[in-house]
Amino acid sequence: MSDITTTLRERARALMEDGTIAAFIGWEAGRFERQTTPLICLDAADTDRLIFDEYCVNTTAKYVRDLKQRGRIGVAVRGCDSRAINRMIEDNQFKREDVYLLGIPCPQMNDRKTGTVLNKCQDCAHRNPVTYDELLGEAMEETAPQDRYARAHLVSGLDRIARQNIFNMAFERCIRCYACRDVCPCCTCRTCFVDQRNVGWLGKQDNLSENRFYGMIRAFHISDRCIECGECERACPMDLPLMAINKKLVEDMNTLFGEYESGMTTDNEDALRSFSKTDLEEFE
Amino acid sequence: MILKDEMLDSLLTELSKEQIVYVPKQVNGTTRFAPYVSSDKMKLDQVNTVMPPKDLLFPQTQNMYHYGVEKNSGNMFIDPVIESADQILFGVRSCDMRSFDCLDAAFLTKGYIDEFYQAKRDRLTTIAIGCTEVSETCFCESMGQDPNHAPQADIQLRHGEGGYNVTAQTEKGEALLEKFKPFCEEGEVEVADVHCTLNVDASNIKDNLDILHESHELWDSMSYKCLNCGTCTFVCPTCYCFDIDQENRCKEGVRFRCWDSCMFSEYTAMAGGHNPRPEKRDRVRNRFMHKLNYFEDRYGKMLCVGCGRCIEKCPVSLDITVLIDRANELAQAEETEAAHA
Ligand code: SF4
Ligand code: SF4
Ligand code: SF4
Ligand code: SF4
Repeated sequence: MSDITTTLRERARALMEDGTIAAFIGWEAGRFERQTTPLICLDAADTDRLIFDEYCVNTTAKYVRDLKQRGRIGVAVRGCDSRAINRMIEDNQFKREDVYLLGIPCPQMNDRKTGTVLNKCQDCAHRNPVTYDELLGEAMEETAPQDRYARAHLVSGLDRIARQNIFNMAFERCIRCYACRDVCPCCTCRTCFVDQRNVGWLGKQDNLSENRFYGMIRAFHISDRCIECGECERACPMDLPLMAINKKLVEDMNTLFGEYESGMTTDNEDALRSFSKTDLEEFE
Repeated sequence: MILKDEMLDSLLTELSKEQIVYVPKQVNGTTRFAPYVSSDKMKLDQVNTVMPPKDLLFPQTQNMYHYGVEKNSGNMFIDPVIESADQILFGVRSCDMRSFDCLDAAFLTKGYIDEFYQAKRDRLTTIAIGCTEVSETCFCESMGQDPNHAPQADIQLRHGEGGYNVTAQTEKGEALLEKFKPFCEEGEVEVADVHCTLNVDASNIKDNLDILHESHELWDSMSYKCLNCGTCTFVCPTCYCFDIDQENRCKEGVRFRCWDSCMFSEYTAMAGGHNPRPEKRDRVRNRFMHKLNYFEDRYGKMLCVGCGRCIEKCPVSLDITVLIDRANELAQAEETEAAHA
């Protein structure tokens, strides 16, 4: 991995020095062993701090939104990051020419405490970046999981009461920190329904019914766009099984409106935002 | 006095007869302080619980009063809801004990008494346990605490081979000690001190932040990666900001308060749309200035007890100890520069 770090630093520095990009988004070492943290390089010297190893757990593409007014932004992208970029381009957050992508085939990331592959990386079907300007390192063979919806099937096979218990227990412990929303590349609404206080979609009290309402509305709202990156579940401080919900919705979308994967291109016909005469009509 | 390990369950069962005893345990997929149930599997020798004990005194959502119009008479009514019960907090650590000093300062001093908080606070008895293990994110010693001993606790326990040494430290503690006696025996077990592995120099941080409160270098670089979620503030034992809102049903309603976070942009949104803290940087600065500077100014103590929860849970690993180090460095550089000029 250290050779990727070296190339990454060299290329990021060169791109900053020749004026191609105004900032570069990657990772740097954290304070602790096996810990990294997102790094935003604003001048060429910062690029010496970049690293890439199997503990780069953060998906960083969302920072492009904060930085885009500075000019073109360089981003280190693996499969998930590149799909997040595509997603945000399709959602009109910025244009392809606003970013310069250094692609990195992903070795899969590990949990720093256990040293085992993160859930989200076990579920990943696209370790190679799906869009990039340069590819650092050799493309690798994909290791898509056998069942794309395994996380959902763990729950969807249970009976109604058991399912309800699982989700009630989960949302019972949600603290409504909104980290799941804030990391999500699909959550780019200018004003989230949560924050529309005067309309009052959602009460501010933390209880099962409001928490569940928050979680479900968010999940539905991004259900045709979720790129299945699993970043929401990783970010959640209370370990809610958010991917069980997201994967179930993606499965439903695929069943109802045809096979698709969000974030693979920038011109996908999102099921909930396009119309087709062949769409299932359940209310005949 | 020694409380043997095997007597713990009987003691807690006895104590639970008269009060609710909160113990650190695994509940519903996370760790927090929750009511003891006989022969519960507790997490006494583990490092900090995910959620701090602050919700015992300051619940995430707390009803303040009911109001409405009476059906028959048509009269308006407003009924305050002041909840209070005798509670024991068992197995609390030094850092969380210290967090109560901070909450007390905010809710009970400077000429204002928060009666909702006070009603719970007055009836809380605390039994601390000295840490026997530290997590890599614990830095309470740097913030002036001793992981082995919590001077504020009513009773202090320390674990050694086979049992706990029991010491009452306050009048309340002395009174409760009577309940302990039937389960204890004379003597003392040998205990070993633990120390934090994460250490930072926070001795000058207040002054350093006075110098740096407008430093773009510090606040820009520290805030770029923040997501402005509420994780750090909600898992923090000392963050005490709240919002007040109501829920109305027909002719009745309830006014409640609930935790809020200075990391949310909505926190400072004003009527008319103006937001005095429009940028991420402003919000990150507020959080750390409040913790390490403003609170010290107003109450003479830091609003961070070094529990490490925010470091552990921040989804982008934004680390308060890194901020402290960085502020020390930058302040030093500014001072050197000033000396040369
Ligand atoms: S990140 Fe987890 S705890 Fe926070 S709001 Fe989302 S589901 Fe709830
Ligand atoms: S997996 Fe979670 S974070 Fe990723 S796109 Fe879907 S909802 Fe958003
Ligand atoms: S510091 Fe971390 S936990 Fe706190 S608001 Fe920022 S991203 Fe969230
Ligand atoms: S700021 Fe962080 S380390 Fe300090 S008391 Fe709060 S959660 Fe603990």
